[in-house]
Order: sequence, then structure tokens, then C-alpha cells
Amino acid sequence: MTTAPIIEQRSIPVVSTDSVIEIEHLYKTFGDNTVLADFSLVLRKGENVAVLGKSGSGKSVLIKCIIGLMRADKGSIRLLGQDIDNLDHQELDEIRSRVGFLFQSNALYDSMTVRENLEFPLRRHWIKMTSAEQDAKVLEVLSNVGLAHAVDMMPAELSGGMRKRIALARTLILDPEIIFYDEPTTGLDPITGKGISKLIREMGEKYNTSALIISHDMNCIRMTADRIIMLIDGTCYAQGSYEELKLNNDPKVKQFFE
Amino acid sequence: MTKRPINNLKLGIFVLVGLLLLIFSLYMIGRDNNLFGKNYKLTARFENVQGLTVGNNVRYAGIQVGTVKKIRILNDTLIEVAMLIDVKMKQYIHKNDIVSMSTDGLMGNRILNITASKDGSLLAEDGDLLATKKNISTDEMLETLDKTNRNIAVISEELKTTVLRINSSAAIWKLLNETELPDNLRASVLSIRHATGRADEMVKDLHSIIADVKNGKGSLGAILTDTAIARNLEEALLKIQQVGDHATALVDELSKLTAGIKEDINSGNGTAHALLKDSALVIKLNNSLSNIEKGTDGFNQNMEALKHNFLLRGYFRKLEKQKRKQ
Amino acid sequence: MALSHTWQQFLDETGDISRFTRRFFLQGFKPRYEIAELLRQCYIIGYKSLPLVGLTGFIMGLVLTMQLRPSLISYGAESELPAMVGIAIVREIGPVITALIFAGKIGSSIGAELGSMKVTEQIDAMEVSGTNPFKYLVVTRVLAATLMLPVLVILGDAISLYGSYLGVNIRGITSFSLFFQQVFDALSFSDFFPALIKSYFFGFAVGIIGCYKGFNSSKGTEGVGRSANSAVVVSSVLIFIIDLLAVQITDILGFN
Repeated sequence: MTTAPIIEQRSIPVVSTDSVIEIEHLYKTFGDNTVLADFSLVLRKGENVAVLGKSGSGKSVLIKCIIGLMRADKGSIRLLGQDIDNLDHQELDEIRSRVGFLFQSNALYDSMTVRENLEFPLRRHWIKMTSAEQDAKVLEVLSNVGLAHAVDMMPAELSGGMRKRIALARTLILDPEIIFYDEPTTGLDPITGKGISKLIREMGEKYNTSALIISHDMNCIRMTADRIIMLIDGTCYAQGSYEELKLNNDPKVKQFFE
Repeated sequence: MTKRPINNLKLGIFVLVGLLLLIFSLYMIGRDNNLFGKNYKLTARFENVQGLTVGNNVRYAGIQVGTVKKIRILNDTLIEVAMLIDVKMKQYIHKNDIVSMSTDGLMGNRILNITASKDGSLLAEDGDLLATKKNISTDEMLETLDKTNRNIAVISEELKTTVLRINSSAAIWKLLNETELPDNLRASVLSIRHATGRADEMVKDLHSIIADVKNGKGSLGAILTDTAIARNLEEALLKIQQVGDHATALVDELSKLTAGIKEDINSGNGTAHALLKDSALVIKLNNSLSNIEKGTDGFNQNMEALKHNFLLRGYFRKLEKQKRKQ
Repeated sequence: MALSHTWQQFLDETGDISRFTRRFFLQGFKPRYEIAELLRQCYIIGYKSLPLVGLTGFIMGLVLTMQLRPSLISYGAESELPAMVGIAIVREIGPVITALIFAGKIGSSIGAELGSMKVTEQIDAMEVSGTNPFKYLVVTRVLAATLMLPVLVILGDAISLYGSYLGVNIRGITSFSLFFQQVFDALSFSDFFPALIKSYFFGFAVGIIGCYKGFNSSKGTEGVGRSANSAVVVSSVLIFIIDLLAVQITDILGFN
């Protein structure tokens, strides 16, 4: 709940021992389209940071680079203290098990029931759980998101909000240290979106996670984020709390608050 | 998760059925190729295998017993065919059995046939070379058949004309229908035999008279000095002999004729018909036979008269006395 | 220019597919093995395709028999009908028709499934969840397709031959055992094995193309449809190319 101090634009973040993500001078281009240009970011433990940007501004690319689904052209990414470029497959897998990822499209496996969806992350070979423990864990996270009754349903039978909750439950099942939220309220009606935003906040406190939220939904961001980073033209254009940025007079910042 | 076991069950059945079908069809196909079962090898040598290939069937008395294993050219006129035969047939196939080639159906695959020799030779051992029969190819067979056909055509044409001619000839039918002729013939032949028998007796008698006369026995000697009588007698005897000869020849010819007629009638030959067409001949035959009868009758009377002749009466009495004494 | 562009695209894709295939062989035979998923895919790909394959096979056998009958009658070789149909089905019709139906059903479903998984980030989610999506999705499906198609071909052949038996009986009368005997008398291993072996390749082609197209699906629902469609087209063409290669190889090896 601490309000982060305003950091100067384009300043190099102070490397602190409690930072979970450190991104420095990140570049990513797709053909002629530059998505990220000299982007830097620090996420501290327990902090909820939102990355705000227009559609196609490279927000999703950013988190996919962090999680290792995409490779940046230039710059370094340290996730939980390790440079993800230098990790082999096994190590990357282990790092990922400490991280949750809520996809924009939920990415629930259509061919599996809710239970199977939630058990899927538990398939990691080093996780030795009896099926009773698995069942207990599944029911625990499901009741946390308020959908314990949907355990044997198929994703196609669920509404958009329910699917988002299930997806959130799936990200929580391995007790992650960091959760990435990719447009968590996109495609939902404002009321459902508000419910999801509230749930994100609650779960963050309950599971004591750090969060990196990517969104262009100001309501969601206001409810979930302690600090906002404005991703404009591929770089960290401005950052601060919701109230601080609302007072910023830069037209590129201002347009998000209209 | 709950439906997984059922799915696996269905999948298991699916795969198992597929595998079973696979194994089954492999067995079915392999049965012909003798892959599953004990075999032994026999060989045969041909001049021409006429398109026989490895895998063709071998049959014994029409029963599938094996397949062709290998075909090898020994030299420019000899090809060796190795056959794999079911071991169960070992007790039936003999060393002298004959291998020939034929076709399965009219247009089917080539097959090898093993034919039993039935001469009780030893049973064939593994690796034995069996004798082969030169195969009649369809072409050759057709060629022969063609020739045969042509011959049959000629023969049947001739047969046709013969039958037609026989049918149209009234005489042969008449002859065939004639019931008296065989009787007459039989009677004539009997008479001839009778006559010749008598003639023979008489000639013998005459012979002994003449001998006696030559020796000048009894009162006859005087009489016989009369040479004119002697000459007459001689002539008479000669004539009698001639008649007997003629009669023998006639009988021979008659018997030939009857045999010929019999044969001709049986075989329906044209010559018989030609001969028998002449019904006048039959009449003549009858006539000559009765003439001969008459002739021999006349001769009998002559002889009787001679007995009663005063000159020869005593001689004949003496002969009778001698006969009685004996 | 346009031509060279399409050629370049074609060659690009061929190269990509080759690399995809290489990746399959590199990853497919290393642990960890996704046995449960493989069985599930076998069930979906194999068992669930059986009714369709059975139906088409049955009709094919029946139709082929009825179509062949008049010309065989004109040769006076009507009794050869079972043998002829048997050879046609086992050597060519069975494997190719089954593989084409399989490409239509399985190729498109794999293409669409993986395509939509790609589009809805399920593949990414899987990777994040510590499961190698290539192994979990691609290897299992390709293996399942490779293993199941021959089984389907065998079952399809059997059903086809049954259809042919009924076809023979429409106009003539033959006992099942006679028909059966005639068919198997006509068949040899050289008819059976090349057909069986090539159906493995057909299955592999359908699996690998479906997975490649799905895995490389472009964003959006249109991309999913396109990958499903091109999966069917490319794998069908590939089936014929493999068939051509197979007949040439068996010819060279002297099995014809």
C-alpha cells in the first residue's frame, strides 16, 4: 500500500535487493514496427504495477519477453534475480513455476474440464502431490475465486467473467510470487470487470504476490495498481500513482484520463 | 477424468481388433506362401517355365501343397524350379511323380501340378529332382485340335455320302431283307459237301478197280486188253476228278463269298453292295449249284450202271465179298 | 515477380515444415513422454474416426464392385471379381481413401484445434505452465495419427471387403467363405505390406501437416480457419505424393 516515489523519466532504476523484476533498455521490433525502444522497469516485492498503453503499443510483448515466450532484441531482463536470457529450458521452467500469468484470452484449455485445467500446472515433474492434495488445492483456489461449484464444468459452459476467474484460479494454484495480468478486464462488461479488478486486489493480498498489470482500462488500473507506468512510443514515458498522473499535463498522458 | 478409463477401453478394443485383423490376414496370406509351417524342398527342370514366378502354387492331385520358391536358369535350355512342399505331403509324393505346368483357370496364374506315377517308387526326399512332363501349351493344343477338327470334318463328310448311298440303294435293302437266300445257301453248301463226299468215295473205288484191272486180276484182265474200254474208263475217271475239283473250288469260293457278304453287310462297304446289287448272280449261283447236284446224280447213276455191266459185275461182286469177309 | 514470390513462399514453407519435422524427431523421442495424452489422442484420432472411415470404406467397396462387374462380365471373368476388388482395395483404394478421409477429418481438426489454441494463447499458457507444448500437443498428435491410420486402414479394408461381398451378391450369389477364399488367394504379402507401410507415412503426413499449420496459425479466427483448410489441402496432396513415391519404391524393390 506504499505509494511509490516519483521517479524521473527514463531514469535507471535503483537495483534493490527486494526487486523481483528488473528490465533495462529493452528493445523489440517486428519488421519495421518498433514496439519497445529503450524500455526500463523495476518491480519490487509486494508491489502492484500497471503498464498503461494504447492497443498495439507493445504491452503484451513486454510481458511475453519477461516470461520468456518472446526474446527481446536488446536489453536485459532479470526475473526473480536471474537473467532469463541465460537460462536453459529447465531453469526457465522452474522460474516460471514461481510466476503466474493471466492471459488476455484466459487461455483455458478447451478440451479439459475446469479441474483438469487447474491441475495442468501441477503436472511439473518435481511437484509430487497426491491426488487428494491436488483435489484439495484445486478446491481451495476455486473457492477463493468463488467458483467451487464449477469444478467439473467445461470452459465452454462458463461465462466470460467465470472464465476469467477460473484463469485467475489457475495462476494462483502454484502460489506464485509474481502474477502478470494481460488486459484482465478486456472483453468484460464494466460490472464484471470491476468484480475481477477487486478479485485481483484481494488475491494479491491473500497470496502476497507482486503484480504486473497490463491494461488500458483506467478503472481496473485505479483499483489494482499502486504505481502506473505509461508505455508510450515503446518507452517508459511517465510513471506515478493514479492521482499523480491524472494531474500530469503532458497531452500524451492526459489523453488516457479523458 | 472419470471418462478416461472408458476411453482407454474403447481404444484398446479398437487397436486390438485392428491387430487381430492384421494378424489374421497375414496368416491367411501366409498360408499360401507356406511361411507358417514346415516344408521340404523338391526341384523340377523345365525347358520353358511359361511365365511361372516365385510364389505360384504347387498342387498335388489338385490339392494346394506348396509354392514355387526359386526359379534358376541352369543353361540355355534348362530351368530349375525349386518348390516348397508342405511336410505333410511327404508321405504321398514319390520319386517318380511327374511335375507339369498348367494354368489356374483359363486366364489364371501359372501353377505346377504334381501327378502321381502310381508305380510304387520310393517316397521323395528333401531336395529330390522330380521328372517333368513337357507341357502342352495352349497354342500347341489349339493347333492339334484344329487338325483333329479338319480330319473329323473329312471323315464325317465321307460317312455322310456312304450312308446316303446305302440308304438310296434298293438292292442292299432287298438283300438284307431276303430270308430265303441264307437258307438256300446253306442247303446248297450241304448238298455240295454231300456230293463231294460221294465223289471222293467213288474215286477211291475206281482207283482200286483200276489198280486191280492193271494187275489183270481175274477175268477182268482179258476184258481190259480191250484198250478202247480202258481209255473210255480213264476219260470218265478224269472227268469225274475234274468235277470233284470244280466242286471243291466252288465250295471254297462260296464260303469266301458268304464271308465277304457277311463282312460287307457288317461294314456296309460299297463293294459288297456292288456285288450283291447283281441279283442275277444269285440266280446263277443257284443254277450252278443245282447243276452240280444233277451232275453228281448223273455220275451216281453211271456208276450204278457200270456195276451192273456184265463185264464188271464179277469184279464188283468180288469186292462185296471182300468187304463182307473183312 | 509474383511467380517468384509464390515460389519463395512455397520453398519457405517447405523448409519450415522440414524443420518442424526435424523438431518432432528431436523432441519426440526424448523424455518426458506424454503417455496419457497420447492415449487420449489415439482415442480421439483413431477410435472416433472409425465410423466415418467405415462408412466410406463400405460404400467404396460396394461401388467398386458394382462398377467393375460389367467390364469383367464382358471379359467373361466375372468370377475374378472378388480377387480384383480385393487387390484394388488392399493395395490402393483402402489406404488412399482412408487417408484422404482421415486428412479431411483429423487434419482439419488438428489444424483448427492447435490454431485456436495458438490464437487464444493456450499454447503460451502451456509453456508458462511448465509443459512443453510441442511435446504435449504436436508429438502426441503426430504419433497418434501415425499409429492409428494403419489400424483404420486395416479395419477400413475389412469393411470395404464386406461391402464388396454385398456388392457381388447384388447380382450374383457367392458364399462368404468362397468370396473370402478368392480374395485371400489373390492377395500376397507384396500386396499387403507396401500398403500397410505407406499408410504409416500417410498418417505421419496428416499429423505433421495438421500440427504445423495449427502451430503456426496466424492471429484471429480467420487464421484458424485458414490453417484448418490448408492442413487438409496440403496433407491430401502429400498423401498422393507419398503414394506415388511408394509405388515407385515398391516397383524398384520388385514387389509389384
